[in-house]
Amino acid sequence: MPVTIQTRHMGRFIDPWSYIALGAAGLVLLAFIVAQFFQKTLVSTTVSASEDEPAQLEAIQLSRQPIGALRIDVKALIPTNRWVTYEIQLFDQQGQVIASAIKEAWKESGTWYEEGESGSWSEEDTLGGLDVRAQKNEQVSIAVAVLEYGQISGQELDEPVQFKVTVQNGVVDTRYLLPGLIGAGSLALIAFMATPLSGKKAIAKTIRDSDPSGRGTAGGSDRLVRVKVDVKSDETSPRQLEVRLFINDAYGEQIYAHSLPMTLRYKKENGKVEEATGKVQAFFILEPRSSYGFHVEVMPDAPVDQTTLTVRDRTRTRQSVEVVQISPSPLDISENPQDQQT
Amino acid sequence: MLTKVLAATAVAIAVFTIIAGYTQRSALVLGEEKQRNYWSRRGTSLSGTYNENTTGTSGGVIWVPLPNRSSYGSFRGGGPSAGK
Repeated sequence: MPVTIQTRHMGRFIDPWSYIALGAAGLVLLAFIVAQFFQKTLVSTTVSASEDEPAQLEAIQLSRQPIGALRIDVKALIPTNRWVTYEIQLFDQQGQVIASAIKEAWKESGTWYEEGESGSWSEEDTLGGLDVRAQKNEQVSIAVAVLEYGQISGQELDEPVQFKVTVQNGVVDTRYLLPGLIGAGSLALIAFMATPLSGKKAIAKTIRDSDPSGRGTAGGSDRLVRVKVDVKSDETSPRQLEVRLFINDAYGEQIYAHSLPMTLRYKKENGKVEEATGKVQAFFILEPRSSYGFHVEVMPDAPVDQTTLTVRDRTRTRQSVEVVQISPSPLDISENPQDQQT
Repeated sequence: MLTKVLAATAVAIAVFTIIAGYTQRSALVLGEEKQRNYWSRRGTSLSGTYNENTTGTSGGVIWVPLPNRSSYGSFRGGGPSAGK
């Protein structure tokens, strides 16, 4: 059967879904960056509080807002080997407590000795934080109160404690965005890795030789066929092999023959080449949908240990690829310009 | 098909995390009795809950300090030497 062979660069078989997944991850990253533009620092100050006297800050007008919350971050500025239990308090206009949260802060340092070596360590957990959201417009004032203060050695102290207080409004909770970015990003990665494996396997043949063949139903006008050849060869292989690919139609008649170069990758162990692997791929639109025979010959064949031929029907691609379109030639000879010339 | 499912899941994750982050679903909602989504930051725990105001005449909710609030007294530093 006479056929027409055309080779074209095609993007119409690109799988859009992996790009949508990537876009979702990109959106989370964008949300991460944009988040900081919504926050506004209202107060950034250092205050002093003791057990008898909490530190009071100026009143803040809160309103119901669609984005972000009021974030109060308090860092206890204590000397080393001390601990402090402090409370972040919110008062309404009548002076009633409307919210409070406790942080147990500490700061320690010391030295360590181990197997003749030594060094010093310093650790602290002094930063506390509270995010609040208002349901209605209201005025709140913030206070930081010391509940207890002491030394690691056990002695309690009755001294004022310094606190660094930062109050911001419109703060976005980024604790959600990082897992969101990792989650959407890894799904996008899996989608990209899965794209070359898409479609139905029409042929999957592995032989311990260099000339696998197989026959399967594949093709159709709107379906992409992916032909993949994987080769494993021994240490005597040259850097490049030649892969000859033949396609036969339903009657066993050869309709396509092409030679593809395959560059091998050497697997080395202790500087010695143990094995070489390589793969080539080709894409086809085979018309009509029918039974096709695929035959591969790898040259030179002496070093080839194993050859795998995989044909996937209705596959998708990551990017635009070179596609060989094989379709039956029009039967009417008068329409063939080459015949007219002779 | 697989990539379609992966993409749909990725979009769902992105939409949920962006909405959750931007609307601050884990923040303390002032005057709200149920704080189901509250997620404390930097080991700072709430020291009270909102209860219905049964004593006042104005109604609404009031902040009630936790009964075990005095238990903070057991904290004597949380560093390596505290034996944790």
